[in-house]
Formats: sequence, structure tokens, C-alpha cells
Amino acid sequence: MTDSLNRRNFLKLVGLSGVASTVGCGTPPSRKLISLVMPSEEIVPGEAIWYATTCRECLSGCGMRVRTREGRVTKVEGNPEHPISQGGLCIRGQASLQGLYNPDRIQSPFRRNANGTIEPLGWAEAESQLADRLSALENTADRNKIVFLSGHNGDTLDRLIRQWMTALHSEHYLIYEPFSLVTIKEANRIAFGRAEVPDYSIAEADYLLSFGADFLETWLSPVGFSRGFAAIRNYREDRRGKIVQVEPRLSLTGANADEWVSLQPGTEMWIALAMARYIVTEGLSVELPPAEIRRLGILLEPYSSNRASSVTQVPEETIERLATEFAGASAGLAIGGGVAVTGDNATATQVAINLLNHVTGRVGQTIRFDRSFQVPDTAGLSALRGLVDSINRGEVEVLFIHHTNPIFNLPPDLGFSAALQKVPLVVSFSSFSDETTDLAHLVLPDHTPLEQWGDFRPAAGVHSLMQPAMNPVFDTRSTGDVLLELAKQMGGDVAEAFQVQTFQDYLKDAWKQTYGEVAGEDFENFWQESLLRGGIWPSRSSGMESQSVDRRARVGLLPQIFDFPFPPAPTKGPAEFFLHAYPSSRYYDGRGANKPWLHEIPDPITNVVWDSWVEVHPETARQLNVVEGDLLHVESAVGHVEAPVYIYEGVRPDTVAIPIGLGHESYGRYAKDRGSNPSVLLPVAADPLSGTQVWSGSKVKISKTGRRSELVRTDGSRTDLDRGFSRIIPLSALTATAVPSEEVHHQEPEHESLSMYPPHDHKDYRWGMAINLSSCTGCGACVAACYAENNVPVVGKELIARGRHMAWIRIERYMENVSATPDIRFSPMMCQQCDNAPCEPVCPVYATMHSSDGLNVQVYNRCVGTRYCSNNCPYKVRTFNWFDYQFPEPLHLQLNPDVSVRSKGIMEKCTFCIQRIREGKDHAKDEGRLVRDGEVVPACAQSCPTQAIVFGNLLDPNSTVSKLADQQHGYRVLEELNTKPAITYLPRIKRI
Amino acid sequence: MEETVTNRAGQAPILQQVTDDILAPLWKPGRGYWLLLLLSFSLIVIGGYIWSRLINTGLGLWGITRPSGWGIDIATFVFWVGIAHSGTLISAILYLFGVSWRASISRTAEAMTVFAVMTAGLFPVMHLGRSWFFYWLIPYPNERQLWVNFRSPLIWDVFAVGTYFTISLFFWYMGMIPDLAIIRDRNTGWKRSIYGFLARGWSGTGIQWRHYKAAYLLLASLATPLVISVHSVVSWDFAMGIVPGWHSTIFAPYFVAGAIFSGLAMVCTLVIPLRRAFKLEAYITLDHFNQLAKMLLFMSFIVTYAYAVEFFIAWYTGDPIERASFYYRAFGSYTVLFWIMIACNSILPLLLLSKKMRCNMKVLFSISLLINVGMYLERFMIIPVSLAHDFNPYIWHLYKPTIYEYGVLAGSFGFFSFWFLLFIKFLPAIPIFEVKELLHSHSAGKLEAAGK
Repeated sequence: MTDSLNRRNFLKLVGLSGVASTVGCGTPPSRKLISLVMPSEEIVPGEAIWYATTCRECLSGCGMRVRTREGRVTKVEGNPEHPISQGGLCIRGQASLQGLYNPDRIQSPFRRNANGTIEPLGWAEAESQLADRLSALENTADRNKIVFLSGHNGDTLDRLIRQWMTALHSEHYLIYEPFSLVTIKEANRIAFGRAEVPDYSIAEADYLLSFGADFLETWLSPVGFSRGFAAIRNYREDRRGKIVQVEPRLSLTGANADEWVSLQPGTEMWIALAMARYIVTEGLSVELPPAEIRRLGILLEPYSSNRASSVTQVPEETIERLATEFAGASAGLAIGGGVAVTGDNATATQVAINLLNHVTGRVGQTIRFDRSFQVPDTAGLSALRGLVDSINRGEVEVLFIHHTNPIFNLPPDLGFSAALQKVPLVVSFSSFSDETTDLAHLVLPDHTPLEQWGDFRPAAGVHSLMQPAMNPVFDTRSTGDVLLELAKQMGGDVAEAFQVQTFQDYLKDAWKQTYGEVAGEDFENFWQESLLRGGIWPSRSSGMESQSVDRRARVGLLPQIFDFPFPPAPTKGPAEFFLHAYPSSRYYDGRGANKPWLHEIPDPITNVVWDSWVEVHPETARQLNVVEGDLLHVESAVGHVEAPVYIYEGVRPDTVAIPIGLGHESYGRYAKDRGSNPSVLLPVAADPLSGTQVWSGSKVKISKTGRRSELVRTDGSRTDLDRGFSRIIPLSALTATAVPSEEVHHQEPEHESLSMYPPHDHKDYRWGMAINLSSCTGCGACVAACYAENNVPVVGKELIARGRHMAWIRIERYMENVSATPDIRFSPMMCQQCDNAPCEPVCPVYATMHSSDGLNVQVYNRCVGTRYCSNNCPYKVRTFNWFDYQFPEPLHLQLNPDVSVRSKGIMEKCTFCIQRIREGKDHAKDEGRLVRDGEVVPACAQSCPTQAIVFGNLLDPNSTVSKLADQQHGYRVLEELNTKPAITYLPRIKRI
Repeated sequence: MEETVTNRAGQAPILQQVTDDILAPLWKPGRGYWLLLLLSFSLIVIGGYIWSRLINTGLGLWGITRPSGWGIDIATFVFWVGIAHSGTLISAILYLFGVSWRASISRTAEAMTVFAVMTAGLFPVMHLGRSWFFYWLIPYPNERQLWVNFRSPLIWDVFAVGTYFTISLFFWYMGMIPDLAIIRDRNTGWKRSIYGFLARGWSGTGIQWRHYKAAYLLLASLATPLVISVHSVVSWDFAMGIVPGWHSTIFAPYFVAGAIFSGLAMVCTLVIPLRRAFKLEAYITLDHFNQLAKMLLFMSFIVTYAYAVEFFIAWYTGDPIERASFYYRAFGSYTVLFWIMIACNSILPLLLLSKKMRCNMKVLFSISLLINVGMYLERFMIIPVSLAHDFNPYIWHLYKPTIYEYGVLAGSFGFFSFWFLLFIKFLPAIPIFEVKELLHSHSAGKLEAAGK
């Protein structure tokens, strides 16, 4: 026998050819364990490597840890040490993986010729062409015709762009973000002379009054605020804080509040002013200088409760009660944000909220200017109108567009799209072919945030780093590097402005300049440590508090405030409705629309997937004679959209609400031609004080089209029919029986006798979970984390319509009551890992069985697919692979190698992340001990921004989960069936 | 005692004529026969194609979903197992009880049993997500040391249906041996060889008859408990589950009664056209149908009682989930189907209280057909509809069968009728010797004279 064909190979060949000839499908593609020719030394097959970086899906700047396996990113998680995210991560952060591996990413640079054809370019060619073009603009005046329009950039990239633009002698660097926080800055400048966004200590508040701020969804820093929310909502020292949400449409945040004050859109200012007036006149305010009280009295005089009530349609008593409660709270906090306060009086509203906070002494207490958020000075609509005008005047020669999609977000009437076509050269750095990039002449695709260097300062004292967690998936290049290369090629003074070759060096230099003193001698060491940690911030024990010396230092009102002209009330015609276009917690401003997970995971409130809709009040629906799924024509003065009706009691009868984020004309296969974009309804209007775009309060007419477009929802029933899936408990019941009683602990023996079979013998572990429904906000981050960790396939709208949703964990939303005291419940539901599992005895082949750790395990290889286990599961948490599902390239690179990808015909379900348990047990075994509490954390629990999910060993009486599971008010779902679930739910504490 | 076998003139046929009449279909199939055979075969081809698609693409082609993991597939399985019932009932139980009128229809009923079990058996295999691994449900020694879960009712099912099929097949075949010998004797060439092989050297000697009778009695005694056990076990597929609408102690008798009910109805549905097509009025008389119809009526009462008990118990438990499930069954999304079922199974059979109706073939045929529809709907109400509305309201979802489900349903009818058509072409649909025996015992003297 020759070397090439020994016995072993011969047998393999015979076997293979035999199989190939019978099956008739050629040889499988070659698979490599490590897909690199020369693997890096740190890559050990089977071992995950974690990199700390920063999430860039919104402006919060949450610290993130990225898990890589064999050189590719497979999962992102919140960085537990990071002060913003504190270990949690939201649904969009989890889905950032699908930005990295998006199958519709721009894979290499190209040029779009005049006739629209696309000509691929090499990087060298593209850069030299662009450098030549820029060099051709010789004199300073011409160079000033270069405009750089960008989304909010990280600190150092921002600095580089500024420096680069300065070197080119252009002063036109604009930052455009659709959801701007400039109004808050501006209002604080007007009221307190501090143009900052302060930190809001939600966690310390016991009375949170939110004027439309969707702080659990998109506003400012949702992950951090969610943690604060959990602190308010949970039982502490016999009481529980209160959250009041003032907004025209009950958002997810509102659904989690204790009280919903529904008011006419755009009139939030009146509530805040009337409350402030009531507090001042009734002497409920904190001690203020008499002169100030007098002047405030004059300023607030017109805003009597009575008048505010007629403008806002909120009862007078409510306003006064809120004022009394707010003033009486020991740590009250009023915040304003979200689109509810992005009318043309946005800044004035924020000023009013500032006054309210001021008179109750909240500034310096729960509002902290000593550690403010770092919010960029974004260009408002006014600035973009200026840009359009300059383009039309021919004053723009080259326009760079970086990570922003103004065509999608701006009102079409602004004419940005038409203007863009007049610019001689539009260069886009976008990673995706979105609406704006489709008009670019030269596209130089940037890395996605997970592939690049950078840094970000979300808040004062917090400086996060970004580092590439893997080699670029495609032939893309970091914009920072491109700019440096362009500078180098342009030569002369532009080249001289930069000493470094790469953006990585630039970043490091910048850090050296900033932290040279802190780092001391050994900067390299400091740099490596910062990279490991994910940046620098004051450590939790010493840091934040010690820095805040001036916490109590008064931030006082400016004298000019007493002359502040508050604008008059908005009006609308009789046949008109207010339009409430709100940011989706999944799509944000639309940038999430190309990520299939975000489509597949239902909207937390409506439970609709893969679509957008118009929310209509039942009364309005009755008048229009429409039912859910009827296509509605929504028309404003400037445009119109069509979208199917969703009937929702949480929107006012005089208002219709449409989520922002869908309705793309481009942006890849998942986003294109899906849903509708409410931006086209918006007039070109800006808040006069801050110049920001007006999102809310536009007037629309609605009419029935007579056509239908079925909405696909995941909820089979709006309520849980008192079946105890999601329970609430009044605070009073909890305080009355706060002392844990003995009998609660010992219900078990009674249950044991109910089985014919001997009880399971769990030696060291019985894994279990406790889910605190007081903390759960229904955001869906856990669901996204589970999709990423467990290779759960995305099946699409049509299959979800047929009940084939594959999620292993879902948030069951029960709308028990939508009123001033909303009772919308969220309950994460996944495999309950029953001790007496109904699925186990019915499987004919032992494909599902009980493990020695108390897990209900599913053996994929053994499963023949009878589906009896699913039929017999009272929780219906098992999902069946009706087909072989696809992971379009390169999304398949995201698959977690520790988890099998399931094939058609088999059942699957939540495993409590058994791969993580296995890893934890292996580590413990190596060290000859048992797994410690908190050592193993399933993906859902890890991601939860409020830590509502706690996992651990129920056999360990000292574990957190055991203690929670022993809580007297805890319950197990459908316990009466004697399934003995391993998950204990702690009911939502209702504040009565 | 009433005459059980008469010719049109009211006279008993002579023995020679018996053989000729019964064997007539074996010699000259008409055009209608071929058309029916072609139709059945086409349906099999459609069903087979769909099955290949199901294997290739996945069960997602069907409308079954979560929560209704079973739908038309398992309803059809239960339907056919139910059909299979009265074959054994008629041939074994009635044999043991010495009911003489069974003779003419017993062969057809037994054949129906065998083919219905064969048809039914396809569905548990087809419904598997990975049907190519169906043999994993069979406990066979293997070097992977894998074994089946004897706690699972699905395994009981494998045994129950397997045993039932084996016994029914033997019983059917055993009963045919003397008739096969007659056919052998009337044939030449290769046909003679085949029938000769099947007749196992039957020559009709006294000792053969003695052994035959003993064996037949033994098999009849073996088959009788199976009538009860098979459908009890099939019912436990559901009753062992905790799904509201399934989890009930009434299920075994309820299913057995339903099975006999649907089986008897199927016998009528098959025999009435058969009798007419092959002019067997002399052998299958109105009296036979009168008796069948009485049984139908009786079973209808039992089934109706079971419905009432189900609803009563659901109410009586006080369990809101159980109650909601039954309320949904009667007044939910599938309410129309439910009331059609009640009409077909509980109300229409009341017509059979009148003897005139019982002896009117058109009426009886229509009623039996509608009972088949009603009993199919009953299985549909129990299986997917109970699942569609069980414990977790969040996951409630309507079950809408797709064309692929209707296709395999049609295919199953094609499969069944294909075998049945082959049966009436190649084997005697009425037991010749039993009819002769009957004639003999009734009017021995007269016939004896005529025979000479």
C-alpha cells in the first residue's frame, strides 16, 4: 500500500463514496477546526477568549465583554465592572453581533459611477483617488467646501476627525443623531447655566416622575437606568418607590410604572409648571430665598392647576396630588425625555421640569451635575437645514458621511436627499448600504465597532476603550486609518499634522496624553490593564462617591429664568389626530432594522414581529370601523404612510402612535421594504431653542384603506386568565407577613408522596432559578442573549404566523389592565426544568430525561420527533425544528461552537445553558471543589439589566437562588400540576 | 329464527350458486373497478410524494405547530385504528357469542381491519420528525445499548397496534383458507399455484375441519381482548398526557366505544356499495343491516353518553383550565366542527330508531358515511383542538391544516381502498363456506335435495 492510500483512508473512501452514491450529494465542504493558516498563539481550540470593549449601538456607551472562539466573535455580554452597564446589556447590544456578521454588509470599497454602476475598488486605489481629489482642492476656500457629517463618534475618533478637518482647513464637522439630548443640555444652560446632561440617580430615588422619558428603552442610558428602576421597584425597608409616567402613549417604561398620566401630546410642560406652582404656592417647596419664591410665583402665575388641566386634559386633582406626592417624597426625581418631549416646546418643557426639580430640592440630590453624562453637541434640524442650503448654493464640494443615515431619519421635505445628489463627491464610510450610502459616490466601508479600535466617554470620569475582538470579517478598513492614510497621501501640512501611521497608535497617543500622569512611568502596563478592564473609571468602592465632593453644592437658578417665555399650548383641528412617533426599543432610530434577532423578538408591548403598525385607541378604532390588521392611511401635511392597525388602550383616543425604525428603502434584506417610516409624516420643524428636530405633536388625518395586512403577534391571549403565569402581590400583603414562616419551607414532603416513582437523587446540584417580576421590565435582552448563546434560529414572519417561533425564552406579556394604574405584566417563560417533568415519561426513546443535576436534558441525537413532550408540556416551552433553518453567511460565524445546531425533525428547549454549567463544573473539578454560587450564569441571567433572573444551586442553602426561592411570596407556575418546577417566580410587588 | 340468507325471490340460493355469486368479482372486473383502482393508486402516489417532501423538507409543511403538535396526522391514525375495530368485533366477538348474521359480512370486516391497521400504522411513522429513525421505537438489542422508554404510551402503542395487526392478519388469513382452496380448485396454471400455496394444502377432510375450528376459536378468543386493549392503549396516548381534554379516566371505554361505532359505520359504508355492485343481496340481507344499524344506534348512545360525561366532569372538577378547554371545544374557534360532530354522532343516528330507516340502504349508507365524518371530527376535536387551548394562554394558536395534511389524509383513503379493491378482486369478500354452512344449518333437508 502506498502512503496516500493506506487502509484507513481506503475504508474512509469506500464509506464516503458509498454514502455519496446512495445519497447523491457530493462530498461535504472541508471544515477546519481553526480557520487560520497561522493561528495566533493565544487561540486555544475550545477555549473562549474575552475582550473588553464598548457597545456602540446607541449613545449610552455600555461596557461590553466579547467572547471569541477560535478567532471569531460568538457572544457579547455586559462588562460587570463597567459603571454604566454593570454587567447588563440591552437587546440592541446583544444584537450588535448581527451587525458584525450582517450578510448585507458592504464587503469592500467601491465607486458608484455616474450611470449608477458599481465599480469595486481596492483600498489603495480608493484611497489614492480620494487623496488626489482632496489635494485638488488647493486653496483654503475650496477646502472649506469639505463637510464631514457623522453620527456621534467615540472620543478619540472625534478628536482625529476634528484635527483632520482642521488640517484640511475645513470647519464643517457636523454630528447628527436623530435622538438628540441637546434639549436637556440647553434647558440646563437656560435654567442653571450648566450646559450638561446631569446624572440622574434613579436607584436612589423613591419617587420617579418621568415626563415621557423612556428610560428603560432608548433614553440616555437604558441599561444603567434599568438597574436603578429595579432598585425603586423592589421591596426595601418595608416600602417600595413609586414611578409615575406622564406621556400620551403608554410605553414599555410606562407599562412598568405605577401610574400613567395620559395627557394631550406636547403639553408636558403645563403639568410640570402647574406642579411647580402648586408646590411653591402651597409652601411644599424646599427652603428657597424669599426673593426667588416671589419671582417664581410671578413666573408660574399663569399655570394654575385649573388651567393646566384644561390644556393637558389631566384632572386638576391628579396634578395637585402628584405635586404633593412629589414634594413629599424623600428622594424624588423628575426627568423628561423621549419623543414625548420633542415637540416644538421641547426645551421649554425641560426648563419646566428643571424648575420642578429645583423647587423640590432635587438638584444636587437625585440630579447630579458632578457626574454628568457626556452628550455631544449634535447638529439639530436647523444645522442640517443649513447644510442643505449650503449644498444648494454649491458650497459643498466633498461630503463625508460617517455612521449616520439622515435620509432615513430626516423629514423628506427638508430635501436632504435631493441636495445630496448635487454634491460633486459624496464619500460614505458606512458599513451598510443604507438610504444615504446608496447616494454616495465613493464607499469606503468602516469596520463595525467589534472590529475596531476606539474609545468612548459615556459619563464624566468613565472612559471606555474599544478594541478589535476579531480580524475584520470583510475587506473593510477603520475610518480612523483611512483618514490618516489620506492625510499621508495628501502630503504637505496635512500629513505633518499627524505623526502616527494607524488609528490604534493615535488612540494610544491620545491616552498617553490624557493619562500620562495617572499611568506614571509604565504607560504600556497601564494601557494593557485598561484594555483588559475595558477602560478606566473610578472603582466602585472608592471612585464615584469620593469624587463627588460638590454633590451637595447648589446649582442655582439663573436670574434670567424668571423672564423665560414659556410657549403657548398646541392645538389641533377636529378631524385630526396627534402623531406620536416613538423610538422602538428594538430598532432604536432605525439602525437596528437590519438585524434579524431584533425583528424576530417581539415588540415588548404589542408582541408584533417583523413589522410596524399604527396604534389606535379602541374607541377610535370603533369610530373608524377598523380591526387589527386593517391597513390605515395616515396622512400629514407633508406625507403619508400606510400601516396596519394595532388596537391599544395605551394610546389616547386623540393620538395615533407609530414606532420609528422600519420602513427602510435600503439597508439590507431584513430591513428593506418592511414596515413604514413615520419620519415621512414629520414637518420640517425644529424646537426654536435647541434646534432639534420635532418628532411629536404633528397632526395627521387617518382613514381606512379597506385593505388588510395581517400583523403577526406572538401572544395567543392578551391576559393570563388568572392562571397564575404572572402574578402580582400588594405591598401590604408583603409587609404583613414579612417574617418568613416555617411551614412555607416544608411543603415538599407532601408533594413527594404524589409520585409513584422514587424522588430523583441529586447529589451535589439541583440547578434552579428565581425570577423577580418586580425587576423584570420585559425588555427582551434575555431573549436576544439566548438567541446568541444557543444558536436559536431565526424563522421569519411567515413561520411565526404559523406558530413556529423558536425562542427558548420568551417574555410573556399579559395586558391585564391598561388604565391610569396600568397592569401590564411581563413574565419570562422558559423551560421550568421540572423535577417531575411531564415531558420525560412520554418520550418513547428517552430523548428527554432527567440529569443528575436536576436538569431536564434534551438529547438531540436521540430525538425522533414525536412532539409528545411539547404537547404534554403545560408551559409550552419546547420548540420543534419544523425545517432545517438557515444562518445566511456570514451569520453562521456567530454560532456558538459549544452548542449543537439542531437539524429538522427534533425538539429543543432551554437547557439552562448547560454548556456553561459544564464549563463551570469542569473548572470546579480541576480545583477539587463544587461550583461556587454565581460562578455559572446562563446567558439570560447574565444579560438582564435589572438582574431579575438569578441562577444557582438549590441544594446549597446559602446560594442566592435558594434564598430567593424560599421567599414566602414566591410561586411556581402551574404548581398544582405537581410538575415541581425549578424556577421560582417572585410576583411583581404592587404599590397599594 | 329469521332467514339470514335469501335470494331476491326470498328463496335460499343453492350451494353452487353461492360459490359462483361470491367468486364472481374474481373473474371479470369492470371498467368502474379499474377506475376506482386507478383513483386509489393516484391518491397513494400523492400521499407518497407528500411523505417524501415531508422527509426532505421537514414537517413544517404541515399546519401542525406549537401548541398543536399533533393534528390531522394523529387524528387520522386514531380514525383508522378505530375503523379497524369492528372487523375483529364482528368476526371474533360475535363469533364467540354465536351470532349467526355475522357470517356474510365477517370477511369484509376482517379485511377492513387489516387494511385499516396498515393504513393507521403509516401515520405514527409519518408524523415523526425523523421518520427514518422509526425503528428506534422498537426495543431491539443493539450495541449502542439504547432502549425504549416503557413508561411512554407511545411505546405501548407500538406493541398494541403491532399485536393487533398480527392477530388480525392471522385471523383473517385463517378464516380464508377453506375459501382459498375453493378458488384454487377453480383455477389453473400459475393462479392455481399461488392460491394453492395460500390454501396450505386444504382438502376439506374431517380432521382438517376439526383442527381448523379449534384454531379459529382460539384465535377468536385471542382477538377479543385485543378489541378492548388496542383502542384503550391508543386512548392512553392522550389520557396519559396532562393536557386538559386528554387527561381523563373515561378515555379507554370512550375510545373503544368510538372505535366500534366508527368501525361499524365503515362496515356499512363499504358493504352497502359492495353488495350492490356485486349483486350480493342474497347473501348480505336487509336483516344484516338491520342488526348492524341496531348496533350503530347503541354505540351512538354510548358515545353520546361519553360526550356528556366529559363535559360534566370538566364542569364538576371546578378546574377553570379544564372548564375553559371544554368551553373552547364547544364554543371556541372550532365550534362549527364540534356541532357537526354532535349532529353526526349523536343526533342523526337517532333516525335508526325506526326499522324503516334501518332497512333503507340509502339512509343507512348516508348515516354511516356521516358517522365516519363525525367520528373523524371527534378525533380532531380531541387531539389538536384540546392542544390549541391548553394551559398556557400566551402560546394559544389556531391549528389550520395545510394542503399537505389533506393530501396525506386523501392518500390514506387511497391506500386503504387500494388494498380493499385488490382484496375484492383476488379474495372472496364473503366467506363461502360459512354461508354454505349457514344455509345448511337453516334448511338442511331442502337444500340437501336441491344439491342432489
